Amino acid sequence: MKRFLAVFLGILTAIGGFVDIGDLVANSQTGTRFGMNLAWAVVLGVIGIIVYAEMCGRVAALAGRPVFDLVRERLGPRVGLANLLASFFINFLTLTAELAGVAIALSLASSVSYLLLIPFVAFLVWLVIWRMPFETMERVFGLLGLCLLVFAVTVWKVGPDWGSLFHTASHPQVPGTETGFTYAYFAIALFGAAMTPYEVFFFSSGAVEERWTEKDLATNRANVLIGFPLGGLLSLAIMASADLILGPAGIDVGQLSQVALPVASALGRVGLAVVLVGIFAATFGAALETALSAGYIVSQYMGWMWGKYVRPRQASRFHLVVLLSIGAAMIFGLTRVDPVKVTEYSIVLSAAALPLTYFPILVIANDPSYMGDKTNGRFLNAVASIYLVILVVLSIVTIPLLIITKGGTG
Amino acid sequence: MRPRSMARSLVAGCGVCSLAGCLAACVAHPVGPARTYAGYEGKAVTSAEAAQSSVATVQLVASTAAAGKAFGPYTVVSVSEQEDGLSAVEGTFASIQPPDRRADALRDELVAILSSAVDHVADVRIAARRGDLADLDRVAAPLRADAAALDAFVARHG
Repeated sequence: MKRFLAVFLGILTAIGGFVDIGDLVANSQTGTRFGMNLAWAVVLGVIGIIVYAEMCGRVAALAGRPVFDLVRERLGPRVGLANLLASFFINFLTLTAELAGVAIALSLASSVSYLLLIPFVAFLVWLVIWRMPFETMERVFGLLGLCLLVFAVTVWKVGPDWGSLFHTASHPQVPGTETGFTYAYFAIALFGAAMTPYEVFFFSSGAVEERWTEKDLATNRANVLIGFPLGGLLSLAIMASADLILGPAGIDVGQLSQVALPVASALGRVGLAVVLVGIFAATFGAALETALSAGYIVSQYMGWMWGKYVRPRQASRFHLVVLLSIGAAMIFGLTRVDPVKVTEYSIVLSAAALPLTYFPILVIANDPSYMGDKTNGRFLNAVASIYLVILVVLSIVTIPLLIITKGGTG
Repeated sequence: MRPRSMARSLVAGCGVCSLAGCLAACVAHPVGPARTYAGYEGKAVTSAEAAQSSVATVQLVASTAAAGKAFGPYTVVSVSEQEDGLSAVEGTFASIQPPDRRADALRDELVAILSSAVDHVADVRIAARRGDLADLDRVAAPLRADAAALDAFVARHG
């Protein structure tokens, strides 16, 4: 019973922790501009993260090695360093966006300017990382993130023509008001939001922090195979609610407050309160993950002691990187940089850096010297290889598309 | 790794990051200079479309708050954000040099619509800050005319 409860809690945490500011913004924007015509990109991204997160968890449990450790080993120090710099930069943008997201959620509940709240949020993020045990931290914000299920309730309350909604999702086309380029750009944004590199850095490092062993492989599978698809459904609910309420009103999402508007419109004050708690939890949880990921990737590349499971004195450089990253993201956020724009660029640019992160995972997951008899099967390798090809293509076309569409504006 | 290759990788990585940062910063501005009437008209339509979204958001926030479905802080912050966005659109468009006299007329037409919309959104923000949430629907009513004017502008010039 205790084991079942642990697995169940893990699944709930995976659902609640799946969505971050990138998913909130990208799904709302595409819902208003493209309806459900880009739902396939969410599905594609969710399958991709399932395939590679399962591998990461398995590698961490059996080899006891997190992703960036393997990146350096397999790609070599030079390519590893380039990957580190690119990943750190994207992770930094994401951390800035998440900190601003938390501040905006608090601002929407208090009407205090989000700029005044950013330093407080940054301190709170550091304090939680410093004081709260890893598993508690993961569970609290993951479970609170379940409040975002209110988007699914919103869709149900609006009572859409389900047949038409599914038809649009299953027979996608480029709407007349958009171009093929903007359609492709937002497809990449949704894909990038689902497969953000920090997710695997955190997932694999977290598995090592929680000292996973072969016995935890079932938990890993349950989290990934049940939790992530349900988290993906949450993303689709955000898209559908924006499609149903914001789209017909002619609203184009450019602020985080607009993401919550469909819920307030359909469910009233209680719904609004719940969705703000959900946005707070999702962005706070992701801020913790990205701040920790900054420390993880730098420490793992440099070969320093890392993690919350060792005493801070032993992992002082890891904690210093985390602290400096939070401080720098706070300062960047205070420059009045648009958090939604930062989010958009972080998820699109992350798509460009994905192959360098995922390729070493695929190699190690096939290496019997690390994995014993738990290497990838043929089917998994086929799917993972197809995804690797997709990732390489995306990494080539992302920057040109960013320029052609002027960041998705036209 | 040798120090020289490490430094080279570091420089290359920094270059990639800087390039990405510059690109991100460069493409964030939908409105740049215009040299022809057609280019100016295109920028006017882009500005009007951005304003349409802000006006529609304020209308929906106002009706939601008036129906008792949103609390004060959310309403105030949401409306203020749209007011800031709308003012920025107006300011940016007004700062573009019209290339000829025909463009002057276009500029006057759109600036008048945007200015009216900014004033009416400000009225909604003031009422929301005073806690008159139940009355927001009435205060936001003039935005219907602004929305219609923006729709007509986009239809004519888009």
